[in-house]
Amino acid sequence: MTASVTAAAAQAGPAVEAIGLRKSFGEIHAVDGIDLALQPGRIYGLLGPNGSGKTTLIRLLAGLARATAGEARILGTAMPSRPMLARIGYMPQAEALYPDLSVGENLGFFAALQGTRGRDAIGRVLELVELADRRGSPTHELSGGMRRRLSLACTLVHEPPVLFLDEPTVGVDPALRVQFWAHFRRLAKAGATILVASHVMDEADRCDDLIFVRSGKVIARGTSAELRAGAATTDLEAAFLHYAGLDAEGRPLETAS
Amino acid sequence: MSATRILAVARRIAQGFRRDERTLGLVFVVPIAITLLLGWVIRDSEAGEVRIAVVSEETFRLADALTVAADGADMPFEVSIIAAGDEGGARDQVRDGTADIAVIATELPDGPVTVVTEGTDPSGDAARIGALRALMARAIAMMIPPELNVAVPEFEHETVFLSADADSMDVLAPVFLGYFAYFFVFILTGISFLRERVGGTLERLLATPVTRGEIVLGYGIGFGIFATLQVLLLIGFTLLAVEVPAIGPIPAFTIGLGVTSVGSPALLFLLAVLLALGAVNLGIFLSTFARTELQVIQFIPVVIVPQGLLGGIFWPIDQLPDILQPVAQVLPVTYAVDGLREVMLRGADLSSGTLQLDLAVLAGIALFFVALASRTIKREVA
Repeated sequence: MTASVTAAAAQAGPAVEAIGLRKSFGEIHAVDGIDLALQPGRIYGLLGPNGSGKTTLIRLLAGLARATAGEARILGTAMPSRPMLARIGYMPQAEALYPDLSVGENLGFFAALQGTRGRDAIGRVLELVELADRRGSPTHELSGGMRRRLSLACTLVHEPPVLFLDEPTVGVDPALRVQFWAHFRRLAKAGATILVASHVMDEADRCDDLIFVRSGKVIARGTSAELRAGAATTDLEAAFLHYAGLDAEGRPLETAS
Repeated sequence: MSATRILAVARRIAQGFRRDERTLGLVFVVPIAITLLLGWVIRDSEAGEVRIAVVSEETFRLADALTVAADGADMPFEVSIIAAGDEGGARDQVRDGTADIAVIATELPDGPVTVVTEGTDPSGDAARIGALRALMARAIAMMIPPELNVAVPEFEHETVFLSADADSMDVLAPVFLGYFAYFFVFILTGISFLRERVGGTLERLLATPVTRGEIVLGYGIGFGIFATLQVLLLIGFTLLAVEVPAIGPIPAFTIGLGVTSVGSPALLFLLAVLLALGAVNLGIFLSTFARTELQVIQFIPVVIVPQGLLGGIFWPIDQLPDILQPVAQVLPVTYAVDGLREVMLRGADLSSGTLQLDLAVLAGIALFFVALASRTIKREVA
């Protein structure tokens, strides 16, 4: 792929690092002391229920929010760092597109901000999300799934070596979801580091490594098989509940003292 | 600072406008329509007829004297004199609407003349009493026997600026240029930026290497282009007067207000653009305090209306109550209105101290809001 991806792959050490990362909003600790080291060429699944701090963690890693304590590093550079932003692809949970602009105009806009020139970059990424024939359509005329694809395209248009995808497959139909994951895998093979936040466990098996988070803390990490074995279950959802200290119906196993 | 990124932000605003016919209509058609309507109302309203019921002693025959005086007088009103039988009858005529003014002159020559009006239209009354006063003076002048050789002088009205027959439209037109640009640009940027925040696109913008300054400048240019086109259109409409001849059933009419301007259109333009730049950034700044589009609209009575009342559009600043004067001195519209009037009505150029001050203050306010808007974007990346 591009030179930047190759360079990232060649770089020694983790592509994404978190050291004692903490973000507090008053009394609430959205991210409560998280350490991470994500290696190039791997897909990491960030799993946890709604409100567990996944989005805040991603925003801290991507330099969109300033940590209360600790440090986030991308490719060895402490975040927030503006030059590093050009090497990050961030797909927010919200659609984050301009409804009055056409598909091509939305892509062209984000490509220009990322310093990507040329129509072939836009054409290539449109082929990838199968929207090439909708290039001139106003975005508000697209279906929900198409807008999701366009949102992914805007994230990938500058071919970043580090990808943060916040619930990328919400509202995407099963056939396209398979294609999304196949593409994530291709990017990882080319050396990209990918962190996918999700609260659906059935996507977890497509990741190389899983990070379980709850209440701003990492409660378990490892490959899918390791986590299942550790919890003595074949069901990943049951494994999550095990590590969270909850019973099969989501209630605490031991009563709080 | 990257020109590519600034232009990308500006271009995205223009692209969004292109498909939004309603907003285009709001920016380009509505100001013209309102100005046209106002010009029409102010210029072509019927002055109406003043009906004066007169009661006087038989010997004075005031009603006859006024009728003669009104005949052939150059009055702003059509005047008709009604001779009333007695004071009660004259008052009744005012009450039931058959007369506009009752003149009760039963105590002449020693006592005062009582003038009775209906009372619910103070400004109309003032104009009508003025007309009556002029009529009285004319009637009295005609009563003086010619052999006394006393002349009652007549006034010749001359003016330093504009012509003596300039009407209130000539004085109000400069203001519309500034006020419309301010109003629409403020609302459009406020809502547009709110959408960036709510829709998540601002989050996505801030995840790219774009700087806050680039976003604010891009917005300024993007909306500035539309404000500029709007101002050019309004300047053209205000200054031009193109006669369209009658075609078939359509009577002849005039396009444009034909307001006399003595100053340079380029200076008008500069004033309006500086004002609009301030409005863009005020819109960005205030959108921080709104969560919905309705809440942006709620800023209209807070931001737009006070400027309309205190900005010197209808009442000169120095006639405002002492407490309100300092308030008026900090409103951007005040300086734009003053500058626009200096240029359009008095023909001021860049050597004029007043205009220099207006331009400097407007530029200062615009810079202040640019800084403020940049700071509020930073708050996102707390």
